[in-house]
Amino acid sequence: MATPRLTRNSQQQNRISQGSNSRQTTLLDWKVKDKAGNSKSVLEESSSLEDSNHADDQTEDALQTAVEYFQKGPKKASLSKDSVLEKHLKTVENVAWNNGLAPEAIDILLNVALSGKFGNALSTRILKCMIPETHISEDSVVKAVSWLCVGKCSGNTKVLFYRWLVAMFDFIDHKKQINSLYGFFFVSLQDDTLCPYVCHLLYLLTKKENVKPFRARKLLDLQAKMGMQPHLQALLSLYKFFAPTLISVSLPVRKKIFFNNSKNLWTPALLAVKLRNQGIFPEPLKLQLGPTSGRSLKRKWNYHSVIPAVNSAKKECREKMSLFDYLSNDRSLPVEQLQSFPQLLENIHCLELPSQMSSVLNSSLLLHYVNCVKDESILLRLSYWLSQTLQEECVWYNMNDYQQEKEFINFLDMVIRVQCFLQEGFYSCEAFLYKSLPLWDGFSCRSQFLKLLAWIPFSSFSEIKPLLLDHLAPLFFTSSIYFKCSLLQCLKDLLQNWLLWLSTEAQVQPMTDSPLETTLGGSMDSVSQLIEYIGWLSMVAIRLESSSTLLVHFILDFYEKVCDIYINYDLPLVVLFPPVVFHSAFLSLDATILNQLCYIMYRYRDNLTAAKKKDLVQKAKSEFSISSKICKEFNYYLTALVHCLWSSRPFETGVYIDPQIIENTGETQYKHNLNFVHHPCLLNYAASFLLQESPEEMPVHLSSIRGKKWNWYLDHLYSEGFQGLNLFIKSSIDHSSVSKTEKNT
Amino acid sequence: VGVPVRTWLSRVSRRRPADPSELVSTEDALLQQLAESVLKIDCATELRVHLANSLPLPSNANRPRIDLIVFVINLHSKYSLQKVEESLNHVDSSFFLGKVCFLVTGAGRESHCSVHQNTVMKLAHTYRSPLLFCDLQVESFRAAMAQRLVRVLQVCAGHVPGISALNLLSLLRSPENPPSKEL
Repeated sequence: MATPRLTRNSQQQNRISQGSNSRQTTLLDWKVKDKAGNSKSVLEESSSLEDSNHADDQTEDALQTAVEYFQKGPKKASLSKDSVLEKHLKTVENVAWNNGLAPEAIDILLNVALSGKFGNALSTRILKCMIPETHISEDSVVKAVSWLCVGKCSGNTKVLFYRWLVAMFDFIDHKKQINSLYGFFFVSLQDDTLCPYVCHLLYLLTKKENVKPFRARKLLDLQAKMGMQPHLQALLSLYKFFAPTLISVSLPVRKKIFFNNSKNLWTPALLAVKLRNQGIFPEPLKLQLGPTSGRSLKRKWNYHSVIPAVNSAKKECREKMSLFDYLSNDRSLPVEQLQSFPQLLENIHCLELPSQMSSVLNSSLLLHYVNCVKDESILLRLSYWLSQTLQEECVWYNMNDYQQEKEFINFLDMVIRVQCFLQEGFYSCEAFLYKSLPLWDGFSCRSQFLKLLAWIPFSSFSEIKPLLLDHLAPLFFTSSIYFKCSLLQCLKDLLQNWLLWLSTEAQVQPMTDSPLETTLGGSMDSVSQLIEYIGWLSMVAIRLESSSTLLVHFILDFYEKVCDIYINYDLPLVVLFPPVVFHSAFLSLDATILNQLCYIMYRYRDNLTAAKKKDLVQKAKSEFSISSKICKEFNYYLTALVHCLWSSRPFETGVYIDPQIIENTGETQYKHNLNFVHHPCLLNYAASFLLQESPEEMPVHLSSIRGKKWNWYLDHLYSEGFQGLNLFIKSSIDHSSVSKTEKNT
Repeated sequence: VGVPVRTWLSRVSRRRPADPSELVSTEDALLQQLAESVLKIDCATELRVHLANSLPLPSNANRPRIDLIVFVINLHSKYSLQKVEESLNHVDSSFFLGKVCFLVTGAGRESHCSVHQNTVMKLAHTYRSPLLFCDLQVESFRAAMAQRLVRVLQVCAGHVPGISALNLLSLLRSPENPPSKEL
């Protein structure tokens, strides 16, 4: 039985080595020759490596002998069997962990391991060092799977084999034949110990055509038998995704990490393989378009270790296409040939995405493609890969190594760039944030974390509050003012992303098919709750930082976004700022803050009048109407502002203070103290205005600014850049009051 | 010159029968370094840090007022949690009105943890006190944490107008429901 297999073996190996030879010359190339009348294979180095150094030759020789030894099996007569075995095993392990094994060596050793001829312990050791140099051939895997049917290997070996298969999945050169074994793998689900690993493999392997009603039924049965296992849920959710009608059970939406990868034996080795594979493509694809073009080379290198190069799935098949292939295959353009945007447009109908989905992250052209092809499975593949990587790479999940932190930061930066490019957040990033925020110290990778946070997809407020805001709030309250400002800024970005999403969503499918909220009203509730929550944060922050100008500036920045929701995003929502924000902005000693406040008041006024107008037009239809409470509040702010700044009659409405109390303090001139001339933040502008008017007049009399001079003074302020004041005065103060004030002052 | 602010950083060292000296010293060194980072922070008032292995402290009439007690728990050692739990019995109940907090280290390396995060969260919840996470091994992380501790300390000592320790506590209180294991 051994002889025909070996012959077939070597034929396949020949075929494979040709394939790899023509593709990549640097790859260590093995050939297998049949010696005359002898079925044993001899491994030889090809001539391409003749000039490599002597030490390498020696290890190669040793490896060759070792592999041969394992292939032939132990000599029964040999007394020193154990020591020889140990020596050869050591050689294999050394080479595997240092350089990786060539596909042929893996092919032979996998056979040895799964045939179990050296016993279980040795099979385990061999499997553990099955690290490819660059890739693994599909045939080896198929052969190895065939050993599983013979029943020669123990349960533990099987488990280890499946774990290995999952870990190495990306390095298998193609997967068509493996996919045709889908049914076999699926049956293995029944084995309780294998089930989690087989689930993981199937999760990677499943395509739409694999999803069949009988399989769905079987999965549901298993789930009923074994309860809610995360691995089964993963597979079920994938099935549900491909065929929603087949799976009627409800699955948790938020759960995104199904498989525990922390016990991966091969993590360091995998990284090495990825790096080696990078070497084969020494020059990364040059892209003319989008964010990748401006990046420095060094930076590229850093996260290349994580993200594979673009490499299409059917690469090797194409090189020896038979007539049948020509007829059956719709001809597709391999992605690595894609160089320019026009080319993308020409070939957009026949593009085939790379086998390692994550490689699209580096290619802006492919991102364009991903963006316009509405294939959910692409995002599913991406997000699966992302959640695994994020978990593995995260700094404080691993060691706190400076270099590693740098790489992780670069990686996050790249993910953020992709999210900006696609204008949407990945669910896996969201899950990652939810998982790591409770442990976050608010310092490491701060800007990356905050940027990721801004891309959290729209969800209901009650859902994100416990996951996100409840963890951010303690950090916010105990951290420095700079953290507070940057968090406010990123929450502003989050709000903006939500608003954009909602406004486009509302146009595309008017309030019906939104995944989370059934009505636009419900979504609006979430948004207004978020705004109110941020308002609460701002209020506390103002107290904690004693109304720092910087902080108030960031808070007003946020409200500049909020006040324009109705007009800018065409969403029926007006939320005002809390009184604390209004008062501390109004009483600020910084003129730009006052200017900003006036601008916001002007925008609120515009939005409210627009909303009122629409209200009147379609009274019956609209489900949203501006509540009288908001109008009352706004009017309070408006009158307070106009009375103080313009008509010098503070504290009459709104903040009412008994005049007697103020007079008791001995301050008689208080009425003027908050108008445009005497407001503490504008005093120096008033003084410089007067000095410009009449330079020789010292000391200046501020109260002389009245009547015509008052208007000149305002013009002076506008020319100093106070456009917010200008807009506010023009919109909120009509002519009658202007003339009235002129009379008064 | 302002009123002196004093802090009390209570420290519980990690001890294991095997190889005790080194572990104790690394842990001690880390806390010493944290205390140094705290003292380095520029604040208008005098600041004192006291490190202790466990409570109660030996009685001392001249001991300054204590404004904040920080219990450091290392998730990699059950002993550290046990020590903190014992020490908590000796803390006057008035301190739990905002002058106690828990600082948890080692949460990053999940595989090394012998104390589950939820246990610490429950502990903090039971004592109605805030819970901070930080890996003390990295210098920059330590400095950031020191800054946060000083912020809390300033409030606890009554140096931030308009906000009291109790006030801050109500803001920092962990959410009512313990986090689900789902994620």
